[in-house]
Amino acid sequence: MTARRVAVTGLGVVSPAGLDARSMFGRLLDGESFVRLHTIDQPPRPITQPAIHCADFNADAAIGRPLASSTDRSVQMALAACFEAWKDAGLERSPVTGAGNPEHGVSWGSALGSTTTWERGYKEMWQNGRDRLPPLSVVLGMSNAAASHISIQLGLGNASLTYVAACASAAAAIGEGYKRIRNGEATLMVTGGSDVPLAYAVMKAWDALRVVALGDEDSAPGCCRPFHPGRSGLVLGEGAATLILEEWEHARARGATILAELVGYGTCSDHSHLVRPDRDGQVRAMRLALDDAGLSPDDVDYVNAHGTATIEGDAIEVDSLRTLFGARAAEVPVSATKSMHGHLMGAAGAIEALSTVLALHRDALPPTANLDTIDPACQGVRHIIGGALRNSGARVALSNSFAFGGCNAVLAFRKAEAH
Amino acid sequence: METLTVIREFLHDRLEVDPAAIQPETTLEELKIDSLLLVELIFECEEKFSVIFERDVPTPKNIGELITIVDTFIAEARTAKQG
Repeated sequence: MTARRVAVTGLGVVSPAGLDARSMFGRLLDGESFVRLHTIDQPPRPITQPAIHCADFNADAAIGRPLASSTDRSVQMALAACFEAWKDAGLERSPVTGAGNPEHGVSWGSALGSTTTWERGYKEMWQNGRDRLPPLSVVLGMSNAAASHISIQLGLGNASLTYVAACASAAAAIGEGYKRIRNGEATLMVTGGSDVPLAYAVMKAWDALRVVALGDEDSAPGCCRPFHPGRSGLVLGEGAATLILEEWEHARARGATILAELVGYGTCSDHSHLVRPDRDGQVRAMRLALDDAGLSPDDVDYVNAHGTATIEGDAIEVDSLRTLFGARAAEVPVSATKSMHGHLMGAAGAIEALSTVLALHRDALPPTANLDTIDPACQGVRHIIGGALRNSGARVALSNSFAFGGCNAVLAFRKAEAH
Repeated sequence: METLTVIREFLHDRLEVDPAAIQPETTLEELKIDSLLLVELIFECEEKFSVIFERDVPTPKNIGELITIVDTFIAEARTAKQG
């Protein structure tokens, strides 16, 4: 049986740049950082970090008060991104009746789940001395809450699955959703991820790990510097991103705009260390994605790197790219958009896949922001710096996600072409 | 505060229902109150009246029945507290 093709037909996002994916991407092309200094004023003492905070996100306006009042912030963001993507795909939302489409499903990523719900509960008990929690706490807090609500709201009767793989959660969710369509198990999958790491204890935990970029009010927007010799780490970000994946002929038959084709997915484990990335594992994941797509490294025109701006991680990823591309490595455009939209944890793979899709669609590759000098350990690829790389004719792109725990997930996209 | 007022404020906040539309004869179905929301509503009443209902709450058909149940449980809880 010939594998079915998978089209990307809708995009949605929750970021400091709003809910519109194209408008956010336009700002990424301009090299605009969304990073700002963020404070959570909680006892025993406030914590302040450069972060991605969606200060203007209005859940009541985005998803309606009844839903907003019964969901965690991460789920509110997930729903907002999915509603936006659904609309972007030209699909109509019917009233929730319980009648779902058994051919449509959801495949969602979250590394952290409903952090704010659990933290509020702990605070109520241990700080405020309450011995009872609201009865909705369980269903607000469950790790598959986002997928569940997405499924109910959009009438998705196929799989409703949640993937938890740290920073590769969303990439895995997109890849697994893609496989369901390609293998004939679904015709449409709502895929992506959401996370809200801006909870007091989560910020404290990352702070303790000493991998968070530091900065003050003025320097915060420029503090995340992937591949730079002075890089000091990642920036935690809250948000969500959605890609509507659809069987190619199904999308064409209904006249949908096809933004790109998802042609390959590779996932594997480093099986070596909990946090230290492994070049061989990363190369293997990229090769698996390319093999799945029937492509070779020579076909790749752009890589949206995992690029978290950690000292070790960036150098190892560039080493992996040099290994994969060989003599051609110096010609392959690479950028780390985390420098601008931050590290969305379980949603990172989704916002980066979304950016990769739009990069191919618009033939405009976003830069790595804040990169005026390249670390010798990160040289050997064509870093996109100083602005977008336009009209490169890029046809094939990889979106890399390499997670704590050793889980690697790589997505291969191709510019939408009928063939 | 009256039980009806608590119910009206809660449902207005959660479902954006016009408080005037919540009358004793209004059914839970009309208001789209499912089992989960009913548990929350009972919890809200317990919180507002500073009591804990010690036994299972039967499912009422309408707001009037709900008020009767809640008021009965409040009286029971307060009696038990005094005893």
